[in-house]
Amino acid sequence: MFFSHKPRTEDFEAAALPHLGDIYRTATRLLADSTKADDVVQDVYLQAWKSFDKFEPGTNCRAWLYKILFHTMHHYRRKWLNSRIVKESEDLIEQTVAWTPPVPDQLTDEEVLAALDEVPPDFRAVVLLVDVEEFAYKDAAAILNVPVGTVMSRLSRGRRLLRERLAGAAGQYGIGRQEGYTA
Amino acid sequence: MKIVSFGDGACEKTRRYLDSYISNELLVETNHEVLRHVETCASCAAELEARTRVRRRLKSAVESQAVPPDLPVRVRERIRSQGSRSAWTFGSTRWAAAAAMAVLVMAIGVRTWSGHRLQPLPGITDRPAQDAYIQRISQTISSMLSPGLKDHVHCAIFRKYPRNPPTPDQMVETIGPQYAGLVQLVKSKVPERYRIVMAHQCGFKGRRYVHLTLRDGGHLVSLVIARKQPGETLANLQPSMRTSGIPLYQSAAERFEVAGFETDQYLAFVVSDLRDGRNLQIAQNLAPAVHGFLAALA
Repeated sequence: MFFSHKPRTEDFEAAALPHLGDIYRTATRLLADSTKADDVVQDVYLQAWKSFDKFEPGTNCRAWLYKILFHTMHHYRRKWLNSRIVKESEDLIEQTVAWTPPVPDQLTDEEVLAALDEVPPDFRAVVLLVDVEEFAYKDAAAILNVPVGTVMSRLSRGRRLLRERLAGAAGQYGIGRQEGYTA
Repeated sequence: MKIVSFGDGACEKTRRYLDSYISNELLVETNHEVLRHVETCASCAAELEARTRVRRRLKSAVESQAVPPDLPVRVRERIRSQGSRSAWTFGSTRWAAAAAMAVLVMAIGVRTWSGHRLQPLPGITDRPAQDAYIQRISQTISSMLSPGLKDHVHCAIFRKYPRNPPTPDQMVETIGPQYAGLVQLVKSKVPERYRIVMAHQCGFKGRRYVHLTLRDGGHLVSLVIARKQPGETLANLQPSMRTSGIPLYQSAAERFEVAGFETDQYLAFVVSDLRDGRNLQIAQNLAPAVHGFLAALA
């Protein structure tokens, strides 16, 4: 055939654009940079549009977009960070395990986000997917292309590291450290 | 792996399951086991509450981030320009590719020429042209956000303002006793440079509005409030952000940006020609207080 028809942009926009806000916010937190997130999101949607003929209607468009987001992020991380992704050693993480710091209510959104930005990227990604975007473990595993067990362990450690950072931020205001909580 | 002791075996087991419990990933039986323990163990209950609170706080902080108002437009533009190139898969003949490329260049050219040009506003006395203009731009955004846009353009843009704005007492009178509290409330939530230049009740195309307009230099910003009609809700739209748990929805139509939020009984819109997220920022400042005010009325 001389021409073959591709999916209509209207169909793509109706399926994909409602998730733009979520994708942008996740990209911003993964990169800790809204300008770069803006570039990434545009690339994600362009990639998604190019492969929209492979998307099966009725399946989870949001999860599909997130998979493309993380694939695109991988490319951008190499381009922008130009460095290996530093993973915290097991020892360092385990040091935090015994501490259950108090939860500060008085922190602002900016302080909470700053604390999240300090959590190493691999853990931060899982926390964002499961706790913020409320993906099931199996969906998060498929998005990140890792086993479910890895999602579980990264989530547990990511949550703990976040809580530690939040407690640290609260400590600057003299909030929270109570008797009985020790590092 | 290092085993962390939390005391007796039940606590240790429970805490190992808490992450999955919070994520709603446990089997029903295990879920009940955790629940049973938490009901009788204050320490584990406090731990569960603390973890849940962090999760809730994180979600709320991430969702508070504003999405650039023009991002959907820019994404759509890129998709559509790409779509122009790839909407057809070409055969292998060179002439077909060349012909299609010529069409593409023309299409992009026409699009660029027509897509970024703002039409001049109709004259202040030309009502038919104003109606046509309002009709045209309101078709480019969700019908749920268009009432705010329509009233802003009709009532705030196509208007001559007196040299001296009305006094607070005059505004209280024109907006009516039920909504009088909004004047001071709005004033307290916007930067000082924004002056309220109008506060009244008005109508457009048979719908009634409570309308406050603020001016900052050459910019006019409206807070437009309408009682909901049956079936009206913004909840079917994708929120751009949340502030104090209130979803804010936004869209852009030609030179205007519209941000909306709702209570059970009311729709509220912040409309202006402020760009770069500044309209949404004003909506974010106003939404919690105005939402509370309107909810108390209903």
